Amino acid sequence: MELDLDLIAELLFGNSLTRLVLFPAVAALPLLFFPRSAQGAARGYALAVSLVELLLGVWYVAAHWGAGGSFTAVADPEVAWIPTFGIRYALVMDGISMPLVVLTVFLLPFVLLGSWVGVTRHWKGFAGSMLVLTTGILGTLLAWDLFLFYIFWEVMLVPMYLIIGIWGGERRVYAAVKFFLYTMAGSLLMLLAILWMAWQYAEVAGAWSFAYADLMQLGLPVGPQLWLFAAFFLAFAIKVPMFPFHTWLPDAHVEAPTGGSVILAGILLKLGTYGFLRFALPFFPQAVETFQPVLLALAVAGILYGALVAWVQVDMKKLVAYSSIAHLGFVMLGLFAVDQIAWEGALLQMVNHGLSTGALFLLVGMLYDRRHTKKFADFSGLAKVMPWFAFFLIFSALASVGLPGLNGFVGEFLILIGAYRAVGWWAVVATFGVVLAAVYLLKMLIETVWGPVEHEENRHLADLGLREIATLVPLAVLMLAIGVAPEPFLRPSRADLDRTLTAYQARLAEPAREVPGLRDVLPPGEEAAPEELPRAAALPADPVPGVPPVPAPDAVPAAAPSTATVNIADAAGVPEVNR
Amino acid sequence: MTQADVWSLAPEIVLTGAGILILLLEAFTPSLRRAFTALAALSTLVAAWAAVAWVPEGLSFGGIVEHSPVTLAFTLVVLLSAFLGLVASGGYLRREGILTGEYHALFLWAAAGMLFMLRATELLTVFVALETLSLALYALCAFHRKVRVGTEAAIKYFLMGAFASAFVLYGIALLYGETGTTALAGIGEALALGEVSLLAGLGVLLLVAGFGFKMSLVPFHAWSPDAYQGAPSPFVAFLSVAPKVASALVLLRVLTASAEAAGFDVGQVVAALAVLSMVVGNLLALVQRDIKRMLAYSGIAHMGYLLIAMATMTPGSYHAVLVYLLAYALMNAGAFAVVAVLYARTGEQHLISELSGWGYRFPWLGAALAVCMLSLGGLPPTVGFIGKYVVFIHAVQNGDLWLAVVGVLTSIVGVFYYLRIVYTLYMRPEEHAPVGVPRDLWGGTAAVLAAVAILLLGVLPGALLDWLWRGAAGAAGF
Repeated sequence: MELDLDLIAELLFGNSLTRLVLFPAVAALPLLFFPRSAQGAARGYALAVSLVELLLGVWYVAAHWGAGGSFTAVADPEVAWIPTFGIRYALVMDGISMPLVVLTVFLLPFVLLGSWVGVTRHWKGFAGSMLVLTTGILGTLLAWDLFLFYIFWEVMLVPMYLIIGIWGGERRVYAAVKFFLYTMAGSLLMLLAILWMAWQYAEVAGAWSFAYADLMQLGLPVGPQLWLFAAFFLAFAIKVPMFPFHTWLPDAHVEAPTGGSVILAGILLKLGTYGFLRFALPFFPQAVETFQPVLLALAVAGILYGALVAWVQVDMKKLVAYSSIAHLGFVMLGLFAVDQIAWEGALLQMVNHGLSTGALFLLVGMLYDRRHTKKFADFSGLAKVMPWFAFFLIFSALASVGLPGLNGFVGEFLILIGAYRAVGWWAVVATFGVVLAAVYLLKMLIETVWGPVEHEENRHLADLGLREIATLVPLAVLMLAIGVAPEPFLRPSRADLDRTLTAYQARLAEPAREVPGLRDVLPPGEEAAPEELPRAAALPADPVPGVPPVPAPDAVPAAAPSTATVNIADAAGVPEVNR
Repeated sequence: MTQADVWSLAPEIVLTGAGILILLLEAFTPSLRRAFTALAALSTLVAAWAAVAWVPEGLSFGGIVEHSPVTLAFTLVVLLSAFLGLVASGGYLRREGILTGEYHALFLWAAAGMLFMLRATELLTVFVALETLSLALYALCAFHRKVRVGTEAAIKYFLMGAFASAFVLYGIALLYGETGTTALAGIGEALALGEVSLLAGLGVLLLVAGFGFKMSLVPFHAWSPDAYQGAPSPFVAFLSVAPKVASALVLLRVLTASAEAAGFDVGQVVAALAVLSMVVGNLLALVQRDIKRMLAYSGIAHMGYLLIAMATMTPGSYHAVLVYLLAYALMNAGAFAVVAVLYARTGEQHLISELSGWGYRFPWLGAALAVCMLSLGGLPPTVGFIGKYVVFIHAVQNGDLWLAVVGVLTSIVGVFYYLRIVYTLYMRPEEHAPVGVPRDLWGGTAAVLAAVAILLLGVLPGALLDWLWRGAAGAAGF
């Protein structure tokens, strides 16, 4: 394998996605050599790194902003990473991943600021874990090769495990292990599904590939689609988490430190919904169609269940955690409705939830830093003692409720309109979730913010300081901005969502297949003389028991796997990419 | 015997010669003892170089000894394991006051026996090599004479090993009786020709069982937890890997030879052994409180994953097995090197709970152990994940999807007990300050080397996989 030094230099030092993804992890290395006592230095260093990362992210997105407020997909040059199996290092940012990437780099500094006093020991390790976690998140969002995607997906596990397990609350170890095992259990079956697809691709195309565009070209019979979708579904549904796979979430949220909760709710959960939108739905449309009633039922059940359980909570953090299940239920409803408007709403709602729930977790954390309790019973009348705190809590809660003029309303409204258009009554049932959200969040406000000050300890609580206000203001401004003028936030993703939906419907309209094959291959008899394929990365094909022989597997143009990206881009639902 | 024949044994000659030299030095100039470990480790490197550069490709000694890209790769894995084991031994031997020439000589001779065994294409040669390496290993198991469990471990290992040898010998006899040859290629041809007789089938099964003992597969695993617990820790870094590497190649050869046999599918037996090993190994590892016993059961489970790749024999099997063994060699060597340093008191217990909070006290050793654990658990970006990947994709590709599913489910169980080590290191308050844990540069070096290699090969496995793949493709003709 020859090393192309120019290419590597361009990837590492140019304005590239690679730099954006790897910078936090590489910048975490010097932390190894910080003395153990230098808590403040490690903290400041991490914040500086996160600000640079924010700058890199904004710079990158701004440099590739298309005309008319749209965002066109951009890619890093591909590198053959594990040529034996046709595995490529390929990163692409398109209109679907861009908002989430921006959200990630935007939240990171606030996560660190929110942990400023809450994290009291091993700041070196905390900062390192956060930075490596950021690399994992960004890589997961940008990976354009399913093997690479899986690697980044798993890379996120260990730092999050450490963050919950080392810096968390009393039952932190239980929560950390539960989080780890749940996520791992789901994702390992997804790994098998990915391997199976890559092998099928090798069978029909003659060369290994894990590339997104190549696997999109793989047409599968309904039978395999069902179990493949089930494997992907399990991985993503646990991550979201969808009812009934949610039981790890309350534990993880309640025990995680503030920063951990913010990044968990704000970003990690979105990777599950992102996975559905990017992989599970476009890959297996027939399976989605088959399972749609069940999927919608689970999404709506999540909305109502999350809201009802949130209602009876007596702990602020637990309430916000259960509200996440309800809010992500809305996102899932929008995704499974398979409708352009619903998808736009779902994508926006992912960002919204990151902002408003992130802010709520930060606020609960700030209160906890002062009083070391999160129970309603310990608070009342905080508006009198901490007016700034009360203002931001009310503001974020209303954004979360979906008050018109704030961001939550736009997302939920679009999801409900789109879902009603596509699946009718499911949306009507889900609307009760909006009502319930008002009930439980207003209950939290009544118990904590309003009323007389009943506890002596609370009379002298300090209001938010400058650092804390500075942490919250940007989030609040964004919530307001999205609420007042959502169009600029919707437009960049519209084209790519549309393309994904068109591809989904095109695949759905294809006649059912008996055996796996490539989607753009003519039936046998109509093609030109079969060519002998160069099997560069091909394993010798072993005859496989149980899989019927594939007709004319060699009927692909010889170079299909590597150059297919461009000419079949539209049909595959893969954006054309500027390189 | 021609000159080329002699050259073809260069790696074995280097190792054996270095062992003899160290014994002579021990007898005549014991003051040089401090240099023995370095000398022995150096000789493994020279042997590796000899294997790469000096040995002519092809068969020698009239077709008994083979040198091919596959045997070269297995040879290098054995030597890597020997090198890391020896480096890890340096500080340990000094600390325990058992720094002698015999340890190093036996160590090198065991390695020589393994190289000889994995290169043999004829069953009696395999048997002679097996005995050579086994005798050296038995002696090394009991090397720490002051530790009583060490002797117990050696006796258990010896008794079980004697059984295994008998199995192997009986299997050879049966196969010879039915096919008239002890050469594996000849046996393969004879089996492919006609209906397989019951006795020949029994012979193959006995061989599988015999090497199953050496690889500690369920149900032939009972010796390994006891042996690992009692034997010197840095030596276990070698014992838990290298004999399995050599045996795996012999097993691959036996399975390849019997793969063509009409009306006889030994693959089913292999698949059953794989499932048993994965399930039993992982479940028993879950309840261990002694880290060495836990690693022993984890090793049993890992050999189960390895067998997934042998259930259906293709050239890809060689590739998958090689990658997996290389990963396994690195992670086990790293883990046992850390164990050798941290459990410095000469005792019989290596309780996991003793590590509580030590991740902060020993940042480098703790991190190395954590990396090894995550790699054993198969998490990316470590080489352990790459190993699992090649094994699973081999299963998927050959219609053994159910084996891969079992592997996936059991490795979730595995993650639980590997994480417990990480948890103990970093998430529990320190229970007691280490008593007499010295600064051990030897052990630390071995552990950190292994951890760095685990991460490096996990992130950039491309060149390695490619090289091994091209090597394994050569095995197709075998």
